[in-house]
Amino acid sequence: MAAAMASAAERAVLEEEFKWLLQEEVHAVLKQLQDILKEASHRFALPVSGSEGTIKQENFVLSTSGTDQVKGVLTLQGDALCQADISLKMPRNNQLLHFAFREDKQWKLQQIQDARNHVNQAIYLLMNRDVNYQFKTGSEVLKLMDAVMLQLTRARNRLTTPATLTLPEIASSGLTKMFTPALPPDILVNFYINLNKLCLTVYQLHVLQPSTTKNFKPAGGSVLHNPGAMFEFGNQRYEVSHVHKVECVVPWLNDALVFFTVSLQLCQQLKDKISIFSSYWNYRPY
Amino acid sequence: MKVSIQAVAVWGKIAPSHSITAIMITDDQQTIVTGSQEGQICLWDLSSELKISSKEILFGHTASVTCLAKARDFEKQPYVVSAAENGEMCVWNVASGQSVENTKLPYRHTAICYYHCSFRMTGEGWLLCCGEYQDVLIIDAKTLSVLHTLTSSQSSDWINCMCIVHSTRIQEDSLVAVSVAGELKVWDLSSSLNSIQERESVYEKESKSLDCINCQAIRFCTYTERLLLVVSSTCWQVYDYCDFSLLCTEFCKSGQCFAGGAVLAAYRLIIWTEDGHSYIYQLLNSGLSKSIYPADGKVLKETVYPHLLCSAGVKENKSFPFVMGFMNERKEPFYKVLFSGEASGRITLWHVPDVPVSTFDGSPKEIPITATWTLQDNFDKHHSMSEGIIDHLCASEDGNESAPISSSVYIPSLDKLVCGCENGKIFVTLALKTARARLLENIYLLKDNLPYKVLNGHSSRVTCLLYPHDKSARFDPSWLLSGGQDSVVICWDIFTGEILHQFTLQSGPVTELLRPPENYRLKDHSIVCCVCRDHSVAILHLQERVCLLHARKHLFPVKMIKFDPVENLLIVGCEDDSVYIWEIETGTLERHETGETAKAILTSIEDSEYLMAGALLPISQDSKRRKDTAYKPSSSYKHGMVSYNLTHTEKTSDKLTDTGHIQQSFTVLPVKTKWNNVNFHVLLFDPGRLVELLLSSQLNGLKSSDSFHEYDTLQRAKSTAEKRSLTLKRNKTAGSICLLDGQVNTVCANQVHRDNNAVRPLEESGGMKRQKKMKSSRKGRMQPPGNTDVNITNTAKLLLSCLLPWGVDKEIDNLCVTYLGILKLQCPVSFGLVSNENHISLMLPGWNCTDHGVLEEHAVINLFSKRVLDLSNKYLSATEGQTEKKDGPGNNIHGSQGSETVFLLSRIALINRIVNMSLEVTSEMESPQKSESVHNKWRNVEAISSSFPSFYADLSSNKSRSHSPDFGNISLMKLIFCWSDQSIKNIEAIQAVLLAEVQRTMKTLRKTAVCREPLPILENGNVSVLKHDKSSNSANFQDAEDTPDTCVLEESESPDDMKPHPWISKVCSCKVC
Repeated sequence: MAAAMASAAERAVLEEEFKWLLQEEVHAVLKQLQDILKEASHRFALPVSGSEGTIKQENFVLSTSGTDQVKGVLTLQGDALCQADISLKMPRNNQLLHFAFREDKQWKLQQIQDARNHVNQAIYLLMNRDVNYQFKTGSEVLKLMDAVMLQLTRARNRLTTPATLTLPEIASSGLTKMFTPALPPDILVNFYINLNKLCLTVYQLHVLQPSTTKNFKPAGGSVLHNPGAMFEFGNQRYEVSHVHKVECVVPWLNDALVFFTVSLQLCQQLKDKISIFSSYWNYRPY
Repeated sequence: MKVSIQAVAVWGKIAPSHSITAIMITDDQQTIVTGSQEGQICLWDLSSELKISSKEILFGHTASVTCLAKARDFEKQPYVVSAAENGEMCVWNVASGQSVENTKLPYRHTAICYYHCSFRMTGEGWLLCCGEYQDVLIIDAKTLSVLHTLTSSQSSDWINCMCIVHSTRIQEDSLVAVSVAGELKVWDLSSSLNSIQERESVYEKESKSLDCINCQAIRFCTYTERLLLVVSSTCWQVYDYCDFSLLCTEFCKSGQCFAGGAVLAAYRLIIWTEDGHSYIYQLLNSGLSKSIYPADGKVLKETVYPHLLCSAGVKENKSFPFVMGFMNERKEPFYKVLFSGEASGRITLWHVPDVPVSTFDGSPKEIPITATWTLQDNFDKHHSMSEGIIDHLCASEDGNESAPISSSVYIPSLDKLVCGCENGKIFVTLALKTARARLLENIYLLKDNLPYKVLNGHSSRVTCLLYPHDKSARFDPSWLLSGGQDSVVICWDIFTGEILHQFTLQSGPVTELLRPPENYRLKDHSIVCCVCRDHSVAILHLQERVCLLHARKHLFPVKMIKFDPVENLLIVGCEDDSVYIWEIETGTLERHETGETAKAILTSIEDSEYLMAGALLPISQDSKRRKDTAYKPSSSYKHGMVSYNLTHTEKTSDKLTDTGHIQQSFTVLPVKTKWNNVNFHVLLFDPGRLVELLLSSQLNGLKSSDSFHEYDTLQRAKSTAEKRSLTLKRNKTAGSICLLDGQVNTVCANQVHRDNNAVRPLEESGGMKRQKKMKSSRKGRMQPPGNTDVNITNTAKLLLSCLLPWGVDKEIDNLCVTYLGILKLQCPVSFGLVSNENHISLMLPGWNCTDHGVLEEHAVINLFSKRVLDLSNKYLSATEGQTEKKDGPGNNIHGSQGSETVFLLSRIALINRIVNMSLEVTSEMESPQKSESVHNKWRNVEAISSSFPSFYADLSSNKSRSHSPDFGNISLMKLIFCWSDQSIKNIEAIQAVLLAEVQRTMKTLRKTAVCREPLPILENGNVSVLKHDKSSNSANFQDAEDTPDTCVLEESESPDDMKPHPWISKVCSCKVC
């Protein structure tokens, strides 16, 4: 039974407890959250006050267990792919093609950048309320938690949901112009993050002749297109003939995702704790 | 689709919570605009003496507002754009509260700058946006579509803040922005206009890394045209704009964070912090003068250091965080104003002196707070206007302490309003009567006769209510469910008020009660779902009175509930995107999935109907399906319900067949606010619908009445029948007008709009058929017609009472009360303006005090603005020609209360439609060639009017009495078109026309009354008594009795009928029934 039945003594105790919650417990949780998120932020290797050179470069070898038609060695520096070596064995003539990033080019992995920015926003929100700040109402805490959770959910979603692109979008992205030697016109590549994995997809295309009897139906947006998907680009119609997908686990992305999940749960628990007290004072906005 | 709905808000004692997240002052310094975490936008009136008073609240966003900016050259159009957390954007007319344009893009903006280059740009200008995406988006200010992007060639990142640099010295408009990583970027605007319009890539002109992260603001000093102020959370810096060299840095005190800043004057800055303090600095020359040494080609910079002049700040009631802004003076009466908004909803203003100086001893001077205000202050000040809809009932029940309403539900089929209170009581009242008792004067009569029931069962706050029969006939019509803070769900008999069953859940407050989808029938049982605060979901079986399943494992709040009818599963989606699958029969948790699998599961049963916990719950399934499921319905106000009610008029006909309630011309829309659980109500009237119902009910009434006055009856029946067919025709024409609109405006670039237009007539005609069908079916069911008829006339009168500007002329007031039976208002009402399905603006208590001068006379209440009087005079003179004809043979003599009401209502409906139509025309006509637009528009109007003769027929039918439609109507239409050109608000137009019409009617009535009165007295001494009776009792009869005879009584109330006593009519009607 709620407030109506609670005795005066009970009320006093509850009030005391709520005060403790606001003054002590909330800050303890915020501190814990900050620590976790800072740890997560470190994983993203944010350049501390602009010292650009300190970010570690990591090499990842991308391959599939079954065939070795596509192999890639990627170098990841923070949110950017700074080197990429892709070797592709053409299925028709077993010719081996090899491409690499041009020296002057880097490819920003938008998903990592966004996730990093979201985490930093969340940290900023938390840092604003340092230990000296006194929370006076529960709703204040709830609002803060909502804002933090929104950022964290977005950070997580950025990593778990790669962008769905149409084939013309992939073809027109700057990625195709980054390689030396230049990519042949019948090959498209795309990089993305899926959960904790860095993925590379290579599409082999063949040109659809205008006289072809095939029904031309352009494919919509997708993370991974299937063979047979068709599209039009630069007045030329193409069909995807082969799709190769290779991936590699990025350990720190995994850590980051775990940190997100843990901090989201912490936030929700704090919200639940605050909400319990809302039952006890009916007429007051808690 | 434009719906002409009149809305009236009935607030409660407690203001809705408004946690300010964005604030701005319009260029004319008359309005403060605030955006809130709850999603609403509030307009505050700022008087010339810097007094704040809240004016209007705008509903539309379903998520927290992130930023506000002007969206037009403010002197031409008072438009403001708002962006929300979930990507919604909306352009509002802050003068009228109307939503002009809205969209939802997959971008979250944190700042918007309006840019317009008048001589080289077509269109209404651009909104340059930055936010949680790379670089800068260019959005069209008119259509809100993405035009282009400004991209970075290197290290592209989110942009934190930006400003437009416009300087005569540099001869180039540029956008200066700072990215999250502290990279300063400059894009040329004026020289890249062409490439933007040609959609070529535009890269930054300059890019430089500043040593600051978390940049909060960047400002260009327009006085020196040289300095650039950059404020980050830890420090603020001044740069030279020419080469971006650092001139000075000032760090903040520990425990404070800078939040923004602005340039006050040359070398004078104002910086503010997150906790509501601000500091004014003077930049002093450090002694090193700027000189050039040609020898080594180096430029020795003049360096500056800051000196603190003044400070300002809030002392107490601090609620984090503050959003602040600074408005510089433009012309003489304008002030330098520093303003701040708090999360608690408080606005504070400081008047910054033109020349800030420090105190004599050199210490900073404290600038006092000039004004501070909250929504609640307005509610307290105008407490009569902010009285809740059932406050008087609560008061009579519990003495003087009335508990705020914590939840409520309106039952259209029974016209009942059920309100749950903070103290656990549930009031069941009749909605219309409650509304009348709340709004109208003569309260005692109405209040004492107000039937209501109190259900006592909950020990603390009633958190949710559900009337399941409303949407689904398989539930017993007597069942009413209520959930409380005490974790108890009670099933009531709404008619007797007894408790049928009490489910005790023991899992925290009940947050939601939901009705499962229609197609899900668990062995044809009637079950409801119940969501509790501990995130558990309970399935309650109402017939067997058992709790079938209580699913308690959810870690996060429940976002979505779906049913799998085949497997008999309950699928619960939580806010962390995980999914729990429960077997209903055994009550076991079958699966728990997260991530991709969870998403796949939720989408796989997309086809079967689902329930969504959270804000959108109470909407009809139709509109729910339209919502994007990908977005979390985090709306704080259950605004979605608006859409339900507005589509109601179209959609009910389907439901009519299964639930059998009559299409409503009056609805009560309960709205719940997010943080403080305050409930208020919006009364929605549909004048067009009311007119139709009134006319048809008159017809019905006549048919059922005795052949007392055979000739008269016949004649009137005929005329009403004519009217009715005309109204039907009008519906048709309304549809075709829309079509015509589309055809005429093929010039218009707005493809979407035209598409809408093309679709609309189809819908309309569909609706027409349905309406017809329904009408015929209703006729069959309308036995006895009395109850509904009384309700309809009362609704009509209530609407007129709300709209009439009372107190302009005492005599008119009295005549209205005595002759038309329209009762005076108790206090001014809060009008609402429905822009479209999801956007509505509501006036706040005390709106009437913001209009200068109206307050002076206390007798005048409810007059929207002084302009109404002028307008009404203009209207009178414009339609002068008709008056004489109207006085013609015996029209007004027959003019009984009923037909007079119908006439006034149809006028309202007509005005509403013309205004809406002209708005559409205007919006379509805003073509690039602005200068021509007015001209075009007129041509357009002409086109409509000339090519559409039946519209005039329609107009005349609406007038219902005027014999010469042509001249009068064209001039009327032109007049109103003209009004909406002058941005005269809908409500002003309606009030003006209403006032004029009432004045005119009363003039003629007075004449006839004078010449007729002696006669009846000679013939029959009773008449004057009767008249007296009628006037004082009319309210009485209509209110206190639900018996069918009142209808007949009304019919016979025209002076001609000469009934000695009202009871005779009762006898008559009894014979009939």
